[in-house]
Amino acid sequence: MIDLGRRDFLKLIGVAGASATFGCSSESARTIIPYVFPAEEIIPGEANWFATTCRECPAGCGLLAKNRDSRVIKIEGNPLHPVNAGRVCPRGQSALHGLYNPDRWRGPAKRSGDGQFAAISWQDAEKVLSDTVQRLSKAGKGDQIAFMTGLLTGTHKDLLEYWLNQAGASRHLMYEALSYEPLRAANRTVFGRDAIPAYRIDKADFLVSFGAGFLETWLSNVHYAAQFAKFRNAGGDARNAFVYIGPRLSMTAANADLWIPVEPGKEYLVALGMLRLIVHRELCPIPYDRLAALRRIVEAFPLDQVMAATGVEPAVMERLAARFAAARNPLALAEGSGCSGANATQAAVAANLLCSIKDRLYETHDFSMHAALGDSAPAGAIMDLTRRMDRGEIELLLVHEVNPVFTLPASWNFRRSLEKVPMVVSFSSCLDETTAMAHLVLPAHTPLESWGDYSPATGIVGLIQPVMGNLFDTRDFGDILISSGKRMSGQEKFPWVNFYQLLRENWAQRWQAGNSQQSFDQFWLQALQTGGSWDPEKTRGSGFSIQIPGDFSFPPPEAPAAQDQEFHFTAYPSIQFYDGRMANRPWIQELPDPMTQTTWGGWIEIHPQTADRLKIEKGDLLELRSPFGALRAPALPIYTVPPRTLAMPLGQGHTHYGRYASGLPANPMELFPADAAPPASGMAGRSFRVTVKKTGETFAIAHTDGSFFQHDRQIARQISYDGLQQAAASGHKPAIDYPLPMGYEADKDFYPAHTHKDYRWAMVVDLDRCIGCGACVIACYAENNVAVVGREQVINGREMSWIRVQRYFDRNKPVARWLVMMCQHCDAAPCESVCPIFAPQHSVEGLNNQVYNRCFGTRFCSQNDPYKVRRFNWFTFTRPYPLNIQLNPDVTVRQKGVMEKCSFCVQRIVEAKIEARKKGRKVMDGDFTTACAQTCPTDALMFGSLLDPDSRVSQLINHPRAYQVLRHLNTKPAVIYLKRITQEV
Amino acid sequence: MQGFSYSEIDDKVLGTLAAPGKVYYVCLAFCFTGVLIGASCWGYQIATGLGAAGVMHPVNWGTYLVNFVFWVGIAHSGTLISAILYLFKAPWRTPLARSAEAMTVFAVSTAGLFPLIHLGRVWIVYWILPYPNQRNLWPNFQSPLVFDVIAISTYLIVSFLFWYTGLVPDLAIVRDRARGIRRRIYGWLSLGWTGSDRQWNHHGSAYLLFAALATPLVISVHSVVSWDFALGIAPGWHSTIFAPYFVAGAIHSGLAMVITLLIPLRRILGLEEILTMKIFDNVAKTIVFTGLIMGYSYLTEFFISWYSGNIAERAIFEWRATGHYALLFWMMVMCNSLAPLVFFLKWARTHIAPLLTISVLINLGMWYERYIIILSSPGHEFDPYSWGLFIGPTWVEYGIMLGSFSLFFFLFLLFAKFLPSVSMSELKEELPPPMRGQSV
Repeated sequence: MIDLGRRDFLKLIGVAGASATFGCSSESARTIIPYVFPAEEIIPGEANWFATTCRECPAGCGLLAKNRDSRVIKIEGNPLHPVNAGRVCPRGQSALHGLYNPDRWRGPAKRSGDGQFAAISWQDAEKVLSDTVQRLSKAGKGDQIAFMTGLLTGTHKDLLEYWLNQAGASRHLMYEALSYEPLRAANRTVFGRDAIPAYRIDKADFLVSFGAGFLETWLSNVHYAAQFAKFRNAGGDARNAFVYIGPRLSMTAANADLWIPVEPGKEYLVALGMLRLIVHRELCPIPYDRLAALRRIVEAFPLDQVMAATGVEPAVMERLAARFAAARNPLALAEGSGCSGANATQAAVAANLLCSIKDRLYETHDFSMHAALGDSAPAGAIMDLTRRMDRGEIELLLVHEVNPVFTLPASWNFRRSLEKVPMVVSFSSCLDETTAMAHLVLPAHTPLESWGDYSPATGIVGLIQPVMGNLFDTRDFGDILISSGKRMSGQEKFPWVNFYQLLRENWAQRWQAGNSQQSFDQFWLQALQTGGSWDPEKTRGSGFSIQIPGDFSFPPPEAPAAQDQEFHFTAYPSIQFYDGRMANRPWIQELPDPMTQTTWGGWIEIHPQTADRLKIEKGDLLELRSPFGALRAPALPIYTVPPRTLAMPLGQGHTHYGRYASGLPANPMELFPADAAPPASGMAGRSFRVTVKKTGETFAIAHTDGSFFQHDRQIARQISYDGLQQAAASGHKPAIDYPLPMGYEADKDFYPAHTHKDYRWAMVVDLDRCIGCGACVIACYAENNVAVVGREQVINGREMSWIRVQRYFDRNKPVARWLVMMCQHCDAAPCESVCPIFAPQHSVEGLNNQVYNRCFGTRFCSQNDPYKVRRFNWFTFTRPYPLNIQLNPDVTVRQKGVMEKCSFCVQRIVEAKIEARKKGRKVMDGDFTTACAQTCPTDALMFGSLLDPDSRVSQLINHPRAYQVLRHLNTKPAVIYLKRITQEV
Repeated sequence: MQGFSYSEIDDKVLGTLAAPGKVYYVCLAFCFTGVLIGASCWGYQIATGLGAAGVMHPVNWGTYLVNFVFWVGIAHSGTLISAILYLFKAPWRTPLARSAEAMTVFAVSTAGLFPLIHLGRVWIVYWILPYPNQRNLWPNFQSPLVFDVIAISTYLIVSFLFWYTGLVPDLAIVRDRARGIRRRIYGWLSLGWTGSDRQWNHHGSAYLLFAALATPLVISVHSVVSWDFALGIAPGWHSTIFAPYFVAGAIHSGLAMVITLLIPLRRILGLEEILTMKIFDNVAKTIVFTGLIMGYSYLTEFFISWYSGNIAERAIFEWRATGHYALLFWMMVMCNSLAPLVFFLKWARTHIAPLLTISVLINLGMWYERYIIILSSPGHEFDPYSWGLFIGPTWVEYGIMLGSFSLFFFLFLLFAKFLPSVSMSELKEELPPPMRGQSV
């Protein structure tokens, strides 16, 4: 049972009640009173949805939180929000595991003499804090106070800076490990804007990415994934092409038409090579004002040297240059992150220079919208703080939800410097490496319990509201600042009752500025209901001046060194872990990495040939050594890296970050140099090599894939763009065994057809849209109470996920592709006929229902399931409190000995049918969708009824790209796949 | 047995029912401990879930079903000795028939436990039975597992009745010599046998009937067992050859088990004159034949998988021969098809050492065969993404395997002390009828 006191319980009920009164909104905890008589608006079993803003990364997507009986059980995207339009990535959905994390602080704590944390009261904790601040500010040591937070905007930022100001301090550093500082530097250099614009991939017709993982973590991945889908499906008679240039076949690279592997740090050379070809051969008209400067820059980069240094074929380079020049709106993006390789700023500048050959680049670079990320603290400021700490010039360091001890390179010595700070106060909600060194912890609410606002980009302000009552004895970050401010400087300086009041006051100003006809209450309510304030009709795209820098220097091309013992190294932020803040979330740990299909723990990607040569096997624990540090992590021979490069994901290797993250290998930040001199290439500027040594130990890799390849099984299929055009022109009909009575033929079917009543549910998976991100997997875990089994059981092959994003490599080409695999709800299901007791049942709506209560676990259905999507409960999997609060009450939690599998979200189907019946009609296409399809950032999954001839699935089932996986088994699957489209670049 | 009188036979056989010695109790204690270990392991598995065993996704079936098929095969060897040889009127069968029948019953019972052990929620196993219930839920008669339940229970019932029918006259003899409570129990068990002509007549036809029933059951039961696999869709399983292939395999292993069991029995019971080398010679010749059938089946499987052009079929057989199970696979081929070829030499057929060695090898090989068939196919199916390897056997599986052997021998030991382990009435049939004037 959950450990909720009576008052807490009533508070929770009260939140739901108050919010229900306002429809889709919530009142502050301040007015919570228990209901003596239940409000009519509360309908037990019906969910309330609260709009809020995702704070899991700086992208700031709009969220809808599903609150059932005063507990949040699921996170979905806010369809009205301009950033994510209803979709959320795996990280955003896992916000629930931040909220329900069993390793959260239960209340304030103070480090006692023996180094352990001991609980104290809020009053005492705030007193210690305000006394320290007062002491320092009275002594005039305000500049010895520093506050490190994640990226903040709006009311939180204003309040925090006001608070610091009252303390006589001003040192506020918004630290983001992935700050994309090189992008800012490059934009300043080439475009004269010290900012990160809104890129418009959807407006481009040719896309080159120099390592920019815009589908994973780059700036705003859900936003760019949707734009990318538009870019891909732009229509017209040619297909937009995307080329990825970088050291690793990343998830984004695998979505490209062509991946050109280059050593980390040499991306800029490819860009300059392209530029030289375009400029010298005059492949397109270049605006006159830039031509001379561009000529001057490319002069130092003769093509033969560039090609020798990068290893790119001349023909490839020429084709790239020609395509880029011929495109109307070509777009070149650079990652702008130092951890992926050296010369990040150079690559970003070179990409900008490439873009500058076109006049219309304002269409793809929208500087009227600045990403808030541009305001994060530059590496130089963090370095400065570190040095000050080291010199003992910082008396008080306050941290809120940042973990520099973990995310900064070990060679920066941030940890050692932090030890010299006499007072470290943390407001983080969880123990992490930085908070572990704090003297005082005042745990703030997680974003899902807090009030606030956040503006991810100019013109978009998302509201953050509590979507349920607080779980533990934590406080709103803003409330902590206000109440400690009152202690510190008196009531008159901090006149607000609480942060909620301040927030409303701030928004009242916004309301006044808007000159709207509404009353403020109406305005406020509307903002809460829609999730914030933005103007979708705002005109975008303004011109800006381009000044080709005269003084910017690129390092000259170097031929690759031929040393056998040393490897290039690239570390990358992954879609699951971002900079590492996600690591203590069981869903995220259990989500297979898109490329390596690995869970629970980091790895070193090494090319299989190299591994063979060095006699390294999967799971061998390697020692990686750079001039700046060393680490140990298991080897994973895989085709994602070229033979002379090693790659590692960021975010693993925690030591003090809760039970799910700690003790897993390894943090690549151990290897990086300490360079940060502005204009820095982010955190790491210098290129360096690493050496590999086998330790003789092993650490098993918990991967979920059985093979790298398809072995000619034609499971994830593709079609060339030309082939598709021909097929469409010739009226080609795909060979589909319809999961309908019409799909049965007397000469090949033994059993008669199933007839369906009202609906025949089916799904279409567009492999051309699927980017492999895994958002669907997490949505399924959340919706269907799928168990997390942990590393050991994943190694044993006992993961429980109902939906998988299966990755296959091509044998001969460095190409990877995905196939989303879930129960196919076959019309002639092999699993149904072998169960001795009818636990799998074909429903009248075509669903293959698994009746948990009926199952006694012979597992014959799974043996006979060619798609291998059935999952058996090898144990009774449990969830430690409070993770169990997240469970969806509409879905049974399965016990040991029972088979389970994808149900096509039957609970959503039932709910939709009830809603439709209330309206006196049948369910219509688009009334609802499954959890996986709901969150898919690119709309690759489509759900509907095949009995409705106008539904999207009915129309797509005869698409020239349609096929069924393993159709030859005559299972008549109701999941129809659309082939991925390929093209030569 | 020539030269014995009726009463001497009774004395000798009933002598085995006397109070046992120390060795017997030690053996019994060992077996009982084994049964307890097996039961505890099963209890542990029920409490924690099937994750206690090495089964995983996609290899959902593990050693429990290997042992199931193995024990069904053992049962067949019992039926082979008792029923088939009875039908063929093999004279050397008599002293062994009772034990063989008991072995069949115990082996089927042990085998029948494994599908239960293998269940995720064994406490509701009765749902597989077609019993009347308020929801009118029936088992799914399409499912091979329902066939299995019917086949195994039929086999158990028939072999039990066969055994029991043969026992009735002997139980009456025990009853006649017993006193007190034993007399009541044996009296109840002997069903009022008086030895009248009518009873003997009925007894004879019933025994013949059950012998005739048990023999085709060897074929049908193992065919049904094979359909657990062959009716599935998995490559390497989904094949029409499976039923004859499994039956041939069962006879192959059954014959080998007969030799393996007879050689020590012959020594212990001093039956060298009755179980002559001629008999072993004949069994060994049959083993050559079944071994050739096995070799042919292996070749056919490979040929058909190649000839079908089915990628998944080809891959599974290629993988069996070269992949993770290659070592076991080639040991299986060696043991089951190559080793029996040695029996082409008359020397090998007529000497104890080669007979015993090869028969043990065949038993081992047949266990490997079932292991490979059951564990490899689901691990290497249609979608390469879902390939995987069985992770066991775990200590729980070893414990349960130990428990199953212990249970078998435990029952056998009890049988040897509570029931006449040699058929007295049949032995007497072979004696010349007692004549007036002879000493009785």
